Amino acid sequence: MLKKFLSKNIQVLDQIETWREAIKIAAVPLVEDMSITHEYIISMIENVEKNGSYIVIAPGVAIPHSRPEHGVLKTGLSLLKLKKGVMFPEEKEVKIIFVLAANDNETHLELISELANLIMEEEQVAKLFLAKNEAEALECIN
Amino acid sequence: METSMRTKVQAFGGFLTAMVIPNMGAFIAWGFITALFIPTGWMPNDFFGQLVGPMITYLLPLLLAYTGGRLVGEHRGGVAGAVGTFGLIIGAQIPMFLGAMIMGPLSAYVVKKFDKLIEKKVPTGFEMVINNFSLGILGLFLCLLSYSVIGPVIQQANNAVTVAIEALIKTGFLPILSIINEPAKVLFLNNVIDQGIYYPLGMQATLEAGKSIYFMVASNPGPGLGLLLAYSIFGKGLSKKSAPGSMIIHFLGGIHEIYFPYVLMKPILIISMILGGAAGTATFSLFNVGLVAGPSPGSIFSYLALTPKGNFIGVIAGVLVGTLVSFLVSSFILKVSKEKDETFEVNVKKAKEMKQEGKDTLAKKLENTKDVNPINFIAFACDAGLGSSAMGASAFRKKLEKEGISIEVKNYAIEKVPNEVDVIVTHKNLLDRTRLAWPDKRIVTINEFMKDSNLDDLLSEVKELYK
Repeated sequence: MLKKFLSKNIQVLDQIETWREAIKIAAVPLVEDMSITHEYIISMIENVEKNGSYIVIAPGVAIPHSRPEHGVLKTGLSLLKLKKGVMFPEEKEVKIIFVLAANDNETHLELISELANLIMEEEQVAKLFLAKNEAEALECIN
Repeated sequence: METSMRTKVQAFGGFLTAMVIPNMGAFIAWGFITALFIPTGWMPNDFFGQLVGPMITYLLPLLLAYTGGRLVGEHRGGVAGAVGTFGLIIGAQIPMFLGAMIMGPLSAYVVKKFDKLIEKKVPTGFEMVINNFSLGILGLFLCLLSYSVIGPVIQQANNAVTVAIEALIKTGFLPILSIINEPAKVLFLNNVIDQGIYYPLGMQATLEAGKSIYFMVASNPGPGLGLLLAYSIFGKGLSKKSAPGSMIIHFLGGIHEIYFPYVLMKPILIISMILGGAAGTATFSLFNVGLVAGPSPGSIFSYLALTPKGNFIGVIAGVLVGTLVSFLVSSFILKVSKEKDETFEVNVKKAKEMKQEGKDTLAKKLENTKDVNPINFIAFACDAGLGSSAMGASAFRKKLEKEGISIEVKNYAIEKVPNEVDVIVTHKNLLDRTRLAWPDKRIVTINEFMKDSNLDDLLSEVKELYK
């Protein structure tokens, strides 16, 4: 399922200056495939401004998200991989950003479950950190 | 061993009370509606009278079932209790109070057991789907089962009561009838015994003698009044405070059902009801009095209105004696049990302490110092309980599984963490909010939900406890 969602939604870039920019860019594929509206991007950023970077759930990995009512059109997931880390609040360096959009609980929960399993696989994550392009990144996703 | 048995019995008593007391308001509302608006009430009104039947048939048993289920398994248990009990309600022709008090907690228990069984097998993320469907499907079966079983059970109970009463009547000693009457009344078989047995007998006797004592053997409002008086003086908490209002509904309104919950929450009080009823009937016999028709509802006003000339002293004396005897015995029981079991809250506290003791012994067995608290249930909490905390809980659970430790690890929104939890894990930015919601809980704060040194510490602490 992860693979299906991510196949067209992966970006690998060198560097982005601010975490706000990073979230915006990471979310672009989801706006393009009509999964979310611009409002959702603003809401994800506000969430970090309000609650801090608790969305950074493992070293170097962030899952920005917000609530379904803040502009989700359909369930979606996108991945932005950076070669040079971007700083999130509280000095957290992030290289992998999964943008999570959920509009129905069932698919959303399945996605979360698979995503958690992926992030726990340290080898896979290590490979993902080193991925040089979209194809290599997609290979790390099962 | 003995003390623990006693504590268990007390805890059970406390459980019944906890099921009934929160719903007393609904009983009183129903009692007033009934006393006021039924055709023989104070201000008969067809429109409002429509409320009486559905309220006692559906609302009150469902409230009891929900409350009982919730005591066993939180809100989910309450829902299971209500669904399981609904079969009883539809299957029975009488208000299913006792049935609700059994089926409610039982249904919750079944669902709880099922949850325990499958808990470790549910993949992260599927909890909500599986929870809803498992409750739905178990509820379906519980409901079907209770619906099919209850009809025959009630029929049997009716038959048994009828046979028993007919046998007792043959003894010719009427006070003995109370042994059947009072339990049957509390089980809501009062209409069966009054309209099915006593009133026909009474009408026959009235044709010959112009009055009959059969109209009074089960409808004497005295014993109920005595019970409620005892509660208003020697009861505690809400049962004490609600008793006077219930007295008006019962004695003046003739709605005996209002005192049934007071018996159900302390079933031993059935003894005082039986003795009060027997004493009342004995007094009626002694004065050789009767009523001219069935008093319905059984209020003091119907009694006096249906008393033939010359019988007033005997009828009033029977009601008073019934009141007095039931009051004395109930007071005695309430006073003695008050000293023994203190309040329900103390019971709950005791039960919790016992549980804690059990846990402590377990912890000690696992060679640990006294100040280490056991950890059986860890909650991961965040803003919505769906994103970061779900991933954190999933990761931590996997780590525990690797160590072969099976304790509960679940994710919640901060405010929805259940009370039984031993440790709450949350992000350090959310600490204030968590502390506000759970001032007494142990809270572990972390920086990152899936990988954090505090999580590693917690993991090794749990490992210590269980190895």
